[in-house]
Amino acid sequence: MMASDSVIEITGLSKTYGSGKNQTLALDRLDLSVLRGEIFGYLGPNGAGKTTTIRLLLDLIRPSAGSASIFGLDIRADSVEIRRRIGFFPAELSLWEGRTGDQIIHYVASVRGDTRSIAKHADELAERLDLDTTKRVRDLSSGNKRKLGLVIGMMHSPELLILDEPTGGLDPLVQQTFHTMMDEYRAKGKTVFLSSHVLSEVQAICDRVGILRDGELKAVESVEKITDVEFHWVDVGFRDAIPAGLQQTLEGMPSITDVSTNGARVRMRMIGDFDPLLRAIGAGYVESLHIEEPTLEDIFLAYYSGDKEN
Amino acid sequence: MIGSVFLETLKQTWKQMVYWGVGLSAMGLLVVIMVPLFNMQDMARLLESFPPVILAMIGVGKELEIFTTNEGFVAIGFFGKSALIFAVYPVVMGMRITANEEDSGTMDVLLSLPIERARVIVEKFLAYAVTCVGVVVLIYLGLHLGVIIGGVELDVARLLEVTFYLIPLMVFIMAATMLIAVLARRRTVALGIVTAFVIVSYMLQTIGLAAEGTVAEPIGAVSFLTYYNAGDILAQGFIWPHIAGFVILSGLLLLASLYRYDRRDIGV
Repeated sequence: MMASDSVIEITGLSKTYGSGKNQTLALDRLDLSVLRGEIFGYLGPNGAGKTTTIRLLLDLIRPSAGSASIFGLDIRADSVEIRRRIGFFPAELSLWEGRTGDQIIHYVASVRGDTRSIAKHADELAERLDLDTTKRVRDLSSGNKRKLGLVIGMMHSPELLILDEPTGGLDPLVQQTFHTMMDEYRAKGKTVFLSSHVLSEVQAICDRVGILRDGELKAVESVEKITDVEFHWVDVGFRDAIPAGLQQTLEGMPSITDVSTNGARVRMRMIGDFDPLLRAIGAGYVESLHIEEPTLEDIFLAYYSGDKEN
Repeated sequence: MIGSVFLETLKQTWKQMVYWGVGLSAMGLLVVIMVPLFNMQDMARLLESFPPVILAMIGVGKELEIFTTNEGFVAIGFFGKSALIFAVYPVVMGMRITANEEDSGTMDVLLSLPIERARVIVEKFLAYAVTCVGVVVLIYLGLHLGVIIGGVELDVARLLEVTFYLIPLMVFIMAATMLIAVLARRRTVALGIVTAFVIVSYMLQTIGLAAEGTVAEPIGAVSFLTYYNAGDILAQGFIWPHIAGFVILSGLLLLASLYRYDRRDIGV
């Protein structure tokens, strides 16, 4: 039974592709609830099963086992009604190349059955995203194609947005606009299911995160809890040489691990505050300091190797 | 909104329809204006000298006298051996109904909208069928223009019948292509199977015509092209059982496509 505040309710959902020796398990008994009014980040490396989950929810592919509902409606039996109330942005967006943005917007709006009001909202979105809808799709850059995809997905103000890697290829300014739009969606009590493999994006806009790996849901946590395991890779370059004894000092610090050196450079993995590190390296002349975000794979490894507790 | 996919499909296709129609009608026009250049008595003697298999390959059966008329010349020169050319357009359109959109990914966008798969197929099928009619109309206009320009004596009513008989043939080929694409999923595989289907049908029709009066004659009955024989249409006019056969088969192929497409994964 669906929890009253759940928009998406998934129970034991599995999907296998192929048959016999070529059979691939893309999604393994997924159980997941997405709550009304939240932005849910669906995080996982490429090939983890994120797109498979989304295509199942949209009834583009059929489950091998399990079930799911959206708005309390079955994804198979009530798929048309569900799709009336959701907006979708596919990871590999493909649009009708010979048509202009305006023509595609009109087409999609006409299938949705409300051309006038949807087109008006589409104009507003296009203006916000700085998109010229008079150009043919084949003449648009990949970033502008993705903007058009966002307009199509959002122009009918859906109750639920399902977005599969939406910001890849968008410039930082547009990404910022997109994040603002997502905040506005949440403020209106609407729900967003956002698939991504970019941790920083999920951190920036999501309330909760589900981590998917090899078709299995590994964890569902708040963003704060997931980022508890966050660490940074720090790369320090000294002008002359690494100060004597620095490596030992760093290796003795509880927040630093994996120290390695290369000429006048020292690289380490750091958790927590920067101050102890800055004091430790202060003995030398620091020429450069690079701080890298952990990759999603780093987070996975940290999360499941016990570093979370550290 | 009902009809939105139908209308959009027409908008996306009308130019191709015009290009194909104009190209084929130019070919027809050329054949018609060549009619006065030939002496039909010589033509009759020439045809009589051909072995049956060669006649069969150009779509001529035993009733040679039909083909020694002006209408018969057009039937051989344009409709007879061009049956394979007429098959190309409906194959291209049949592939567009599902296979091309699935391959390109636009089907994902379309089916993420509140629309049933069956409605997508039916509306696209009807739209492409309308474009087949458009192509045929343009072909007829080309032939008619040839009659006017060349001052050729042709039975325009019979010409109209032979031309419009192409519509059920083209719709049938499109429906067969659609079903094969729905079953095969991959566009390249579907295209290979459809091509083989059309070529094998052509070969079976040829064997059937060449073997008229022998035990091998019924082989031709298996080929759908046997039911589009310009000579027969010139002699008898519309052959309604054949037209009904094309229509019924097209309907069955459409139903089979709807059944299968509604039960399978998209774009996998």
